[in-house]
Amino acid sequence: MAYVRKDAATLTATEKRRFVNALLEVKRRGEYDEFVRTHIAYYASDGERGLRTAHMAPSFLPWHRRFLLDLEEALRRVDSSVTLPYWDWTRDRTARSAPWTADLLGGNGRRSDRQVTTGPFAYREGKWTIRVNVTEGEFLTRDLGRRADPLDLPGKRDLEWALKESAYDVAPWDSTVTRGFRNRLEGWGTGRGSVSWRNHNRVHRWVGGIMLSAASVNDPVFWLHHAFVDLQWYRWQRRHDGARYRPATAPGSGDEQHGRIVSRHERLPPWDVTPGELEDVSATYRYA
Amino acid sequence: MVIDIDGTPKGTQPPPAPASEGRTRRDVTRGLRAGALAAALAPLLAAFRAPRPTPGKAPGRASFDRTHRGRRIQGTRAADGHWHVTVDGRPLHLMRRADGTWLSMVDHYCSYPTPLDAARAAVDALAPGERLRDAGEEPRHEHRGGLHGVRA
Repeated sequence: MAYVRKDAATLTATEKRRFVNALLEVKRRGEYDEFVRTHIAYYASDGERGLRTAHMAPSFLPWHRRFLLDLEEALRRVDSSVTLPYWDWTRDRTARSAPWTADLLGGNGRRSDRQVTTGPFAYREGKWTIRVNVTEGEFLTRDLGRRADPLDLPGKRDLEWALKESAYDVAPWDSTVTRGFRNRLEGWGTGRGSVSWRNHNRVHRWVGGIMLSAASVNDPVFWLHHAFVDLQWYRWQRRHDGARYRPATAPGSGDEQHGRIVSRHERLPPWDVTPGELEDVSATYRYA
Repeated sequence: MVIDIDGTPKGTQPPPAPASEGRTRRDVTRGLRAGALAAALAPLLAAFRAPRPTPGKAPGRASFDRTHRGRRIQGTRAADGHWHVTVDGRPLHLMRRADGTWLSMVDHYCSYPTPLDAARAAVDALAPGERLRDAGEEPRHEHRGGLHGVRA
């Protein structure tokens, strides 16, 4: 029986409390920091050689889908009623809307040092000390909307720009492609400034603080953001009559991308699973 | 140590799950732990890779040393094309995109035309008083090793 992932804005007080408590327990057990490490280690960039799995690659979506399932399984070992909520950033667009409430993720960082001081993940609560980080910071930081130079979250039109693409991804399967659903959703643009941060990438920037860094997993909003990104893959499949993950087969030995991306039926590290096996998760969960 | 192309050290993979059990939660968990170990080793391999040359893109200056928002940012380019960039003396790991632009570990979801631009953007993204972690805390391999200069 598939479980349901809900919009964070619709959670009951009990659902919020149980989700938060499960996160705190996974953190207390030391499991959470492993997720932070894994995400950092698998962030390979496409201007360097080597296999890319998590970013700047077609497997951006299945990699994060499997990553979310791992965290969700950890949460459900603590409390089997818990599922990952998603943050619909096309609807909840301000620093005071869901999920930035004191009973869920807490609010913005304070101006002086961007430290989050409200909600269950505030440093002073003593249950969310940052241990894996690119800076010396031990507290969660946010700069919602980037106060010094405000920018907007992506909206429905930005998502539509990605969802209308009929191809899942296109050669050369990296951050430079301007067509294809995957990169339009992942959000690597060309040029500089605002146009180069679309959809997924732009949300990381809008939240700011630790969410902008390689250690972004430290902010629990990472999971709510990626659950919404994951939902877009399902919506895209529905709109395009079950269109498949691409590439279906690995680029040949003469191809620049040979050995650098994961095709539909190849193993997706660090797991023993293929992108093709992650295309349909309807037996495990669905979105409300 | 022998390392596969995907950075997985040979001989450390968990044994395959018995076919009758299918993929159990325990196997998945065990797989993740092994994966995290492999993940920690992957950058060691990456350290020896030169960035892909970018035709038609002028290389940045050979080095820089200036102050931005009260922070000292320094960068030097090695003969192999790798940059060593520091903020207030502490290493800032940079990655290169296929279009020749640069991103840092602090500002990781967009990229900039030069290492100097990426370093400035990293300073902009740091909170007042927030410092990169000290190179001395890193286990090995300076900014290119371990978890790309991450306190872990």
